[in-house]
Amino acid sequence: MAQTIAHDEHRVHGHAQHGIETLRPDDLRSARRLMWIWVDTGLAIFALMALMGVTMRAEQAGWISYGPDVFYSLMTLHGVGMITAMAVAAMGGIWYMMRLDGPLDERVAHWAYGFIVAGVIAVIVSIFPGKFGAAWTFLYPLPFVGATWAPWATGAFLTGVMLVSIGWSIWCVQMLGCVMKRYGGLRGATGWDYIFHNRAFTEAGKQPPSPQAFAAMVSAIDGLLTGAAGMVIGIALLVHWLDPSVRIDPLWAKNVTFFFGHAFANLTIYMAVSWVYVGVPRYAGRSYHTSQALAVAWWGTLFFVLLAYFHHLYMDFVQFQALQFIGEAASYLSALPTVVVTIFSCLMLVYRSKMRWTLGSIFIYTGLIGWVVGGIGALLDASIPFNNNLHNTLWVPAHFHTYLLGGVLLFILGFVFMMLEERVGAASSAAVRWIVGTLVFGGMGTFLLGFYVAGSAGVPRRYATEPTPGPHIASWATIGAIIMLVGMAVALIEALRMATSKPQGRLS
Amino acid sequence: MARGPLVLPLFLILAALAMAVMIGIALSTRASTLELSAVQGRAYALRRWWLTGLVVVFATLFAITIPSFPYLEASELSTARHIPVMAEQYAFPVPAVLPVNTPIVFDVTAKDVNHGFGIYDPENRILAQVQAMPNYVNHLAVEFKQRGKYTVRCLEFCGVGHAYMQAAFEVR
Repeated sequence: MAQTIAHDEHRVHGHAQHGIETLRPDDLRSARRLMWIWVDTGLAIFALMALMGVTMRAEQAGWISYGPDVFYSLMTLHGVGMITAMAVAAMGGIWYMMRLDGPLDERVAHWAYGFIVAGVIAVIVSIFPGKFGAAWTFLYPLPFVGATWAPWATGAFLTGVMLVSIGWSIWCVQMLGCVMKRYGGLRGATGWDYIFHNRAFTEAGKQPPSPQAFAAMVSAIDGLLTGAAGMVIGIALLVHWLDPSVRIDPLWAKNVTFFFGHAFANLTIYMAVSWVYVGVPRYAGRSYHTSQALAVAWWGTLFFVLLAYFHHLYMDFVQFQALQFIGEAASYLSALPTVVVTIFSCLMLVYRSKMRWTLGSIFIYTGLIGWVVGGIGALLDASIPFNNNLHNTLWVPAHFHTYLLGGVLLFILGFVFMMLEERVGAASSAAVRWIVGTLVFGGMGTFLLGFYVAGSAGVPRRYATEPTPGPHIASWATIGAIIMLVGMAVALIEALRMATSKPQGRLS
Repeated sequence: MARGPLVLPLFLILAALAMAVMIGIALSTRASTLELSAVQGRAYALRRWWLTGLVVVFATLFAITIPSFPYLEASELSTARHIPVMAEQYAFPVPAVLPVNTPIVFDVTAKDVNHGFGIYDPENRILAQVQAMPNYVNHLAVEFKQRGKYTVRCLEFCGVGHAYMQAAFEVR
């Protein structure tokens, strides 16, 4: 059995998985168990947040009425909950893949998980019963002025987000340590010699980091910087909460808040894409290796993810003007590594291949489409003349819902079904694939289109009660969201069926 | 200028093109299979053109958007009529009437928290916007070409009354 597992993992993960040959079956099972804890936690949080999101859209449609204070509390929880859900699931997946690539201490991962769960609990307490409702990327001095919630709720929320940041930072340190140890320090992990001394590198019989190791390295480095920013603004706000005479500069706070929020949200897809590197070659029956283009692309991502956040401050005309230019340029440039290397390579792998279209591969491939479409929406919004009309309209949730829901989540579901298909040794029936595909993608498209149409019409985001044509659009968007969730419920039933049926696949 | 309505068709066209290409590639798996080595050469050549094309498109976009940046020069500030706006939860104090075809600069700040000063034209389209932030003054230049009723809505989340924070003025 042990050999079967090792052989199968080697086959599944395609690219040279040094260490997999020596990974003991118990360690492999333990790593899988840990991975499933993270992924299941992320998906469970997602499910709750999705139901919450539907009630918010129904409120905007005028179908139900629970008032603005409840709406903004739910909006706050929905925002921070969804980002955390996507991050936790993606972190679990990439941790597992790196575990196959080298040693990783599970206790460290458990500590990271513990901090994140503690943070989630603190955030939930701040909202139920604390009624905190300042939005998750609130802009100072908001939580402290005009609050309709108890002061302790502000402290609980800040503490919760900081605990999540600590857990996230622990994970980043572990990932960075893993890739550095595995590939010879930062120089090896970044593929420096592979790029600049390729001949000597190749002649020495060395291998560059796997594609998923690049995703881990960039997520870890950017994640540490993001986590540090989150801690800095968190501590500053906590100090102000304890002693209101300590003032914070609002423009500085806005920069740090968006640096943290934008990069954290953005990194979820760069973590989840590691599953695409594994899944697409497997389903297409073709191998995929690190190339120099891929290494350079990830260097670009490393920088552009950090610089693109300036587009959140386009409408702050007092911001140093050069930063506005950098914001637009970095936003455009951040698209290049994605569409020129990662997505292009995936399309190349799929083109005229023996692609097996199962639920797993359908989710992964559609996730690539969602990533591109969300990226187009983001690029238009990042163009300052358009941003002038789209900033803080529903166009903003339009594009980030597209790449979080239509990208990150679908990558996660694709990975989950890939593992389940491997377990049962068979794919879902064509009927199930059609039902899930029609409901999930049809409903999702309708739901997302509602945001785009309303955003282009100037309907503001974060309004409990929207001006026209908001409520009308919200009505059919809500129907779309419900259809999508019904499709996801069918997918969940199918996943449970596969998870509880007798293992027959290679891992049996 | 209200560009919001223009962006939706542009987005839909680009998204449809991208989806058509990707769905087409998915459907290509129904055709006879090719070895990866047979695909790679052409694909890498195509990728060089794809990269070059994208760089040209982005560079062009960057260049042509710069003249439409809303950031003002000092000379533009001095010649216009200035309207001070001190936003606060949940009101925008603005004059009831403003002149048509006259350069105006709104000097926008906030008394309490961040707000978004968004001006909607008589057709309910966003004409211009700027952030209202405590301790800072943002200068927003607008010249109203059309007579009628304009609405100001808050475009930055500012608290429980955010959706109700609005004002109106007449341009004539």
